[in-house]
Amino acid sequence: MTTAALARPWTGTPDLEPPPGPNAIRVRDVHFGYGSRVVFSGLNLTVPEGRITAILGPSGSGKSTLIELMTGQKRVLRGEIEVGGEEVGALSRRALFRLRRRMGVLFQDGALFTDLSVFENVAFPVREHTRLAEALVHHLVLMKLEAVGLRGAHSLYPSQLSGGMARRVALARSIVLDPWIMFYDEPLVGLDPIAMGMILRLIVHLNRSLGITSLIVSHDVSEMLEVADWCYLIAEGRVQGAGPPAAIREMGSPWVRQFVSGGPEGPVPFHYPGRPYADDLFGAVRPA
Amino acid sequence: MKRFFALLQPIWEFGAALGRRLHFLVTSLALVPSALARPRQFIEQLFYVGSVSVILIAVGGLFVGLVLALQFYTALSRFGATSSLGGLVTLALLRELGPVLTALLFAGRAGTSLASELGLMRATRQIDAMEVMAVDPMRRIVAPRFLAGILAMPLLAAIFSAMGVLGSYLIGIKMMGLDPGVFWSSMRHEVRFHSDFVNGMIKSLIFGVACSLISLYEGYHARPTAEGVGQATTRSVVISSMAILALDFLLTSFMY
Repeated sequence: MTTAALARPWTGTPDLEPPPGPNAIRVRDVHFGYGSRVVFSGLNLTVPEGRITAILGPSGSGKSTLIELMTGQKRVLRGEIEVGGEEVGALSRRALFRLRRRMGVLFQDGALFTDLSVFENVAFPVREHTRLAEALVHHLVLMKLEAVGLRGAHSLYPSQLSGGMARRVALARSIVLDPWIMFYDEPLVGLDPIAMGMILRLIVHLNRSLGITSLIVSHDVSEMLEVADWCYLIAEGRVQGAGPPAAIREMGSPWVRQFVSGGPEGPVPFHYPGRPYADDLFGAVRPA
Repeated sequence: MKRFFALLQPIWEFGAALGRRLHFLVTSLALVPSALARPRQFIEQLFYVGSVSVILIAVGGLFVGLVLALQFYTALSRFGATSSLGGLVTLALLRELGPVLTALLFAGRAGTSLASELGLMRATRQIDAMEVMAVDPMRRIVAPRFLAGILAMPLLAAIFSAMGVLGSYLIGIKMMGLDPGVFWSSMRHEVRFHSDFVNGMIKSLIFGVACSLISLYEGYHARPTAEGVGQATTRSVVISSMAILALDFLLTSFMY
């Protein structure tokens, strides 16, 4: 079965908001930046509960920063982010940690603990947050590793894993405590097509079988449009378009069309802004 | 007005950097009980921190003892006081050279190892992963290493001094032909348990706090790039070495 076949039909209309229903995350008028560089200027979006939501955007558009804001790793300058009904920016460290126990995050490169084996990596959150008997920990970890197809690799170390395997181990680690929401930060970057397909299938399977709300940030447009129920396109600090995948493909905005088709020419120029080429080559003044 | 604020900027930055390090120290000290509550992690770190340095410390101590004995023997023989060789070398080792050189070697070996380990964990987002798993990295990573560094230092200094005494024994007795009884009795006569041995151990303990703190702080706050990890490692050695020498002066002026 392909990942496209696993995706459920969506009845929503192309709009900036998904159809009414319970929401997992609400982002309201968020402003954020690094020094003088503005990343978000009035970002608004809603992540529906129990669905796969994809946040698409070019490199440097702040997609990963958005996950960091939602998980409380960074604080917004203005605006608010509600996750599971709690405003992340207003939480104490203790309350934030309580909320994070219900979250799972898959990092871009897995972020596995290099001094621990695959088994110990997956067991890490269980040992930190529960007092389960060692036999139970063993069963739980092997079950999660079986789910990602890596039970046989439990004794390997991260340095012995391929990129795709490391990503699957990291996925097993992030779901070992059965989170209510999963964040995927560029889950397909640097993977070969087979590994990419495996990760996509796992994301869809986790969502469909366990009902885990899934938020994926990515710039792999075609893959995301296959699996997501709802998509947001972000660039220049705000949402440029939103809707179900079919609607995104049909959007008339030149920026969206260029982004979805991956065209080199369009509103996003190929060349970084600079002085005229002839001036740089033959001008009297040398460029700095 | 702008110039005035520009002049104040370095002072402000220095104060802020000092404040951040003090905060790190206080947090690490506050988490020491939690590290003790998880003895397995702490013992693993103690073994790791100690084992990476012990050969270096032992060999270093032996050579320092050999050199000290040669130098002191030459000087003492001018006054016909070679019988004091054992006591003099042991005093120099216990009071000064043991704690200081051990701390400098520790900063260069275990300190850089701690800084680069934490820097790499930062660069590969392992620390972020821990944070989003609702596990406090200060408690899980920093506290056991901090405690291990503090406790490893006096143990290593004791090994350094013991090896130094062995070196001076080889020179004094085996090479120069001093009487063993005179050598050991001079040591027993000159060295005081509290003022020499205990004060040396206190120095080591304080150097252990400084070295571990600096290495862990630099690694924990390293920029998450290859260059950032390299810079953090270098900074940990440079700052630790300066801190050890400055602290040694302060402690010596209070203790002796």
